[in-house]
Amino acid sequence: MDNHFGSHLSVVVDLSPAQWHRAAADRDSPLAVDAFVSQLLAFLNAHIALKHENSLAVFAAFPGKSVMLYASTDPPDRPTPIDPNSYPPFKRLDSTVTARITAQLAADIHPEEPSALVGAITKALCCLSCSSRHCESNLLFLPDINRLSLGHDEASDPRILVLSVSPDLATSYIPIMNSIFSAQKLKITIDACQIFGPDTVFLQQAAHLTGGSYLYLDRRDALLQYLIMSFLPPPPIRKVLAVPTQDRIDFRAACFCHKNIVDIGSCAQSAYPSSASPCPSVPPVEQSSPSKHYSVSMLPVRRPAPQHQTVAGEYTPVSSSSEWDPGHQRI
Amino acid sequence: MPTAQPYTYSDGDERSYVPHPLLSFLQSQSQNTLTRLYQKPSSCLSIFRLLAPLERQIIMNLLWLESAIAASTMAAWVTREGKKLYDEALTILSRLNILPNSAVKLALNATFKSAFRQAITGGGSFGVPAEKDDRHDKRQPVELEALDGFALERWETILHYMVSSGTGVLFLLQRSGLMASLHNSALQITSAGFQFLLHSPHDQLWDLLLQYLHLAEERQMDLVEVLGFIFMLSTMELGREYSTENLSGTQKAMLEDLRDYGLIWQRKPSSRRFSPTRLATTLTSSSPPLPTSTGTSSGPQEGFIILETNYRVYAYTDNPLQTAVLNLFVTLKYRFPNLVVGSITRDSVKKALSNGITADQIISYLVTHAHPQMRRNVIFKNPLLPVTVQDQIRLWELERNRLKSQEGYLYTAFASQADYEFVLNYAKELGVVLWENPTKRCFFGSLEGHANIKGFIERRTQAGSS
Repeated sequence: MDNHFGSHLSVVVDLSPAQWHRAAADRDSPLAVDAFVSQLLAFLNAHIALKHENSLAVFAAFPGKSVMLYASTDPPDRPTPIDPNSYPPFKRLDSTVTARITAQLAADIHPEEPSALVGAITKALCCLSCSSRHCESNLLFLPDINRLSLGHDEASDPRILVLSVSPDLATSYIPIMNSIFSAQKLKITIDACQIFGPDTVFLQQAAHLTGGSYLYLDRRDALLQYLIMSFLPPPPIRKVLAVPTQDRIDFRAACFCHKNIVDIGSCAQSAYPSSASPCPSVPPVEQSSPSKHYSVSMLPVRRPAPQHQTVAGEYTPVSSSSEWDPGHQRI
Repeated sequence: MPTAQPYTYSDGDERSYVPHPLLSFLQSQSQNTLTRLYQKPSSCLSIFRLLAPLERQIIMNLLWLESAIAASTMAAWVTREGKKLYDEALTILSRLNILPNSAVKLALNATFKSAFRQAITGGGSFGVPAEKDDRHDKRQPVELEALDGFALERWETILHYMVSSGTGVLFLLQRSGLMASLHNSALQITSAGFQFLLHSPHDQLWDLLLQYLHLAEERQMDLVEVLGFIFMLSTMELGREYSTENLSGTQKAMLEDLRDYGLIWQRKPSSRRFSPTRLATTLTSSSPPLPTSTGTSSGPQEGFIILETNYRVYAYTDNPLQTAVLNLFVTLKYRFPNLVVGSITRDSVKKALSNGITADQIISYLVTHAHPQMRRNVIFKNPLLPVTVQDQIRLWELERNRLKSQEGYLYTAFASQADYEFVLNYAKELGVVLWENPTKRCFFGSLEGHANIKGFIERRTQAGSS
């Protein structure tokens, strides 16, 4: 339960100014961005406080760009003046995060662009992938006895927590599914919390497929309590103190040609996994599979190959896309 | 001391979690002492980090609640399998007076809550840094390597002293039972002391600090001040200088002791500033507190001992501490700049055994510090140490235990065989016969049975004579 390695947490924060403006003006339970940041910092400090070895990375999604706000492995930009009244790691975290958010907001932002949430998630995954590779190479140098006793899954249980305020962006369906598959492969848990706005389908799926938990925040004034109870405990603790899981998951996918979230889609075998309908707007599919060519040419009477890959009349509801081969879709 | 982990097989199971030794000490303290201790945010943070993961999460869950929460509400989060662990965690927290025991409502100790909140949100006393002094501006800032070197040198001196048996530390070691003076001679390492050498430096440090705390109680030092200072040290930053201005009298007195143990570094004893070393700043973590290879002591991290089937030991080290430890149970033959050669002999092992070191301890020391080359045996499914040597060390231990002494009485000179058998049968019914010899008509009974047998014989002789 307690190992020599701390657990790693990457937090992805959605800082879309337009959405936060709406959140602050919300009638039922308003939440201003500065109140959010201060509660977020308390949560991040709590994670650092849990264990000396715990590591942390913070990413922010701004309209059209994503940046890394803080990484506990990075050396500080400049020697931070020591404050006798605060624990140095907390101080470093708080000052770095606030300074970088201010700097980013001061830079020119195009508020009309959608928030680059997926970009931030991908960056978080890349960092985790690098550090896990680094960790593995370190493990090689440990004496065998230690390596045996550590076990593989014990080394560290990396998690990504997504704090989102933006609605689903249908165009980001493919990248987000790709991130989910990479996370599954790297054994990373994705937790998601929708602080404002409508429920997001994609984040629900991300949490479900990686064994994390998804939370829709009803009471925004209790944000910190929600965060601590649901997202602070690392996976071993979640076996004892349960965290909220979803009863119902929205498994809908996005149509690949129209980028709409669809209830019923039809599946094509090779190139277009789902589209809203076998409509003529789907471009003709090249026969790419060699076996198909073979079977077609073996036919005694040569007939023209079918124009549409989609099987006419067969509407297969797309329930879960977990059967995709992530190897075919690179970011 | 190399930081190879002790030879334990932890499978990540919840039950394998061993509570920190300091916690049981804190539990024995009065409620008043604990409450005073919890006034300092730095102490709260350090104690929090020493707790088990589940206890830490429970505290976090309750930290930001303004009012008490119904115990049933909290229990609703617990899974069925985790019920037992959860209850144990609550018991420990209530013993520490962090979460007062109550069947109905759960609320954190108010002092702890406010101080810990302060720590998380950025507040509390985490040591006053030394002001930049214009006069001394020319001085180089403290180098991390220098600090590490100092801590390592201090710490190895303590350990080396323990094994080589050559003065504030002396008393501490004797008090802790790690060393004892046998037959009024010089102090010698005890079995507990050798076991101590097998622990990780982190555990060693806490062992000694706990003894220091007991000692502080006897010296009438204020325990809260002592603990508070140790905790404050653990939250300080490595490589910074802190001022001694704001320390209390007790804490200033502690500076000298802690310097002896290598926890802090001072330019000179009268200096008004000090720097914590890595030993101090990693007190509440589980990372190895000491860098292993610095300067003269180049104990390789992975282990350095090669043991052959012919009882030869090759130790690739020039570290005087490691050499001295080996000298406890190995007859050393040659020393080279980076290599010590010796062999395990009956005499050398017996010498160790007579000091109270057990065969298992010797074997686990060899396992812990085995050279990577030896560890390759494990990959090929062979035992790490040659089986012959392991068995022989155990046999030598058994040899020592061949004789068992027990106090008792020898019953002899029975008048007739019938008399002898009659008494013997009675003694056998009592189950006190340890040895018997029918031809010599004598048997040996244990101490407890003597009164009964004596009475039995007396009654019988009286009956016979009357």
